Amino acid sequence: MSETVVEVRDLSKYYPPDVKAVDGISFTIGAGQIFSMLGPNGAGKTTTVEILEGLRNPTSGEVMIFGQNILKDYSKLRKRVGILPQNFEPFDLLKPWEAIQYWTQLYDIRITKKEINRALERVGLFERRNIHSKKLSGGEKRKLGIALSLVNNPELLFLDEPTTGLDPKGRRDLWALINEIKEKGTTVFLTTHYLDEAERLADDVSIMHKGKIIAEGSPDNLVEKYGKATIVVLEGAGSSGLQKLKEKGIDAHLDDADERDVLVPVRKHSEMKSMMCTLASSDINMADIYTRRETLEDVFLNLVGSKMEDGVLKE
Amino acid sequence: MNRIISDTINFGKQYMRSRIGMFFALVFPVLIILVFGAIFMGGGTSKITLHAQNLDEGSQGDAFLNALNSTTLFDIVEIPSNESIEQYINNNSLTVAIFIPKNFTFDIGEHLLFNEPGTVDIIIYGDPSKSTYGTVIGAAEAVAEGMNFRLIGKIPIINTVPININPGDDGETQFNYIDFYLPGIVGFTVMTNSLFAMTSTCAEYRQRNYYKLLATTNIKKWEWLVSKFIFYTLLLWLALVLTYFVGRAVFDMQAQLTPIAFVIIAVGAFTFTAMGMLVGIVVKDPEGASAIANAIGFPMMFLSGTFFPLEMMPDYLQIVAGVMPLTYLNNGLRDTMVYFNDGNALINLAIVFIIGIVFFILASKFMSWKEK
Ligand SMILES: Nc1ncnc2c1ncn2[C@@H]1O[C@H](COP(=O)(O)OP(=O)(O)OP(=O)(O)O)[C@@H](O)[C@H]1O
Ligand SMILES: [Mg+2]
Repeated sequence: MSETVVEVRDLSKYYPPDVKAVDGISFTIGAGQIFSMLGPNGAGKTTTVEILEGLRNPTSGEVMIFGQNILKDYSKLRKRVGILPQNFEPFDLLKPWEAIQYWTQLYDIRITKKEINRALERVGLFERRNIHSKKLSGGEKRKLGIALSLVNNPELLFLDEPTTGLDPKGRRDLWALINEIKEKGTTVFLTTHYLDEAERLADDVSIMHKGKIIAEGSPDNLVEKYGKATIVVLEGAGSSGLQKLKEKGIDAHLDDADERDVLVPVRKHSEMKSMMCTLASSDINMADIYTRRETLEDVFLNLVGSKMEDGVLKE
Repeated sequence: MNRIISDTINFGKQYMRSRIGMFFALVFPVLIILVFGAIFMGGGTSKITLHAQNLDEGSQGDAFLNALNSTTLFDIVEIPSNESIEQYINNNSLTVAIFIPKNFTFDIGEHLLFNEPGTVDIIIYGDPSKSTYGTVIGAAEAVAEGMNFRLIGKIPIINTVPININPGDDGETQFNYIDFYLPGIVGFTVMTNSLFAMTSTCAEYRQRNYYKLLATTNIKKWEWLVSKFIFYTLLLWLALVLTYFVGRAVFDMQAQLTPIAFVIIAVGAFTFTAMGMLVGIVVKDPEGASAIANAIGFPMMFLSGTFFPLEMMPDYLQIVAGVMPLTYLNNGLRDTMVYFNDGNALINLAIVFIIGIVFFILASKFMSWKEK
């Protein structure tokens, strides 16, 4: 196991009168990993991140970063961490290169023009260095935010929902960037409410819900542990197909992505063969039949009891 | 130190690039002084009444006055030849008068005949602090030059000699409404820029999580406050100078730019920046910020003698004015720029400063870059 960068024990944060935003969570983050905290709106992600950033005081519990208690003296840690706050928008009327220069100077670091250009190149903004930041696209603004969070060469980087509100391309761009940052050896704490994002990027995921961590592990681990079943997909079977299955007492539901496919979870491997026989011999009209492994999305559904879209829990 | 400089520069850059910021700092006060100046000065350019005593026995003195008259700038009024011109100026409180000596034509003739070097003088009495004086000198010099040219071509004969009739400050200066008004506009500009802009800056910084970013860098809260104060001071000095010179150039303004005025502006910037931060602590978003800043700023603007002398207001409003920092800022500026009473100006300055210190202490105490 690699060395531990962050160690959180029994952390709680209550807001008056009775909001338990964070309710006794514990986790560790190993050096060089991407740790993702996944959860819907109001789960307590930002509260957790900001406690770790020294921006909020915990109600109880202990947080060690680089082996140092954060409540003791954060100023030493400050040099070693970088942060991208939630909903970050760069300074409207500064150009990207000016923003980088400014921010670096606030860390008492001298920076040359060349180094500024390199920092901009790293996040793919070199070409856009000379326009006012308010004219950047949403994705570019986040990239600039990440560039700013990197000016002090942090060993630990906090990214609070870096891709929220971006289009698919913007998100993929940022994923690539975050992976590059990881490759340079930086440990990344990433919050998100996109399941695919966590699955793609994270070495370790903790699913947070109502202030508690309800599951933790690598994406594969989680699927293995909390995935209830392999899924048999009856493509194009539709609601009439679902009806027939229900009559036979088979647990199934429509894929709510298009409402055409019927999904049949099979819980035990040993039951798979007989289920396939039953399904194949039934008189259901379908275009195709195949099996699919569950994803984090299904894990989340199993654990929380509802789906999550853009951070909002669905029925 | 480097952090403060960098923060000042980068905050300044953004401010100067924002059209609203520039408008309220540099364009608005100039506009106001032009508009109000035009309204209260009665609009239109009227002729300057020019008193002249012509003792010349020949024709050149009349020729000179005729030429001056044809510029259409003046209504020329003759001073009777039996009066002493200096006495006359005093009795009639003139700010400018022209004197043509007895041997004017004769002396010119002498110079032409014998081709002697030297000059014949026309004397212009005047108070250099008045803009009419400059106009008269300019016109008289132009006329003299024209006559010289007609008389002999190149060699100048007729010369204008200005004589200052306002030595020192004892000659009472005639103040206009605009003189009263200028310090009010400057004070108002100090308030709008530091108070309004600071309040909305604070709200924006909170909403956009800039405070959180700042909190993770090395800059300290007080350094950030100081850099805002430095920037507003420089900006408002510029606004003061600009407004002053425009007022001076366009209107017959007697107010002066004094060193104390610059100190008052700096202290005013400090006080209102701190006040803006204090207000910025309680507001959560930029819309709320401008609502609150307006609610505080506008009554203060009207009740602090910005547009009307305080004495014009009923007693109870004067009491309200007595608790507003802008009142003291305006009074201080007026004391030093218009009444040249630096003693009073310093008292007002001290009051503004004390209020500012209180605001600053409260602001740095209660402003938090973190969340509880
Ligand atoms: N300063 C605060 N005062 C009171 N309650 C708060 C405060 N900040 C957060 N909360 C509450 O704490 C809970 C957790 O909020 P938090 O912002 O940590 O959630 P989140 O997981 O980051 O959500 P999102 O995905 O919307 O960013 C919410 O119920 C929220 O309303
Ligand atoms: Mg959040």
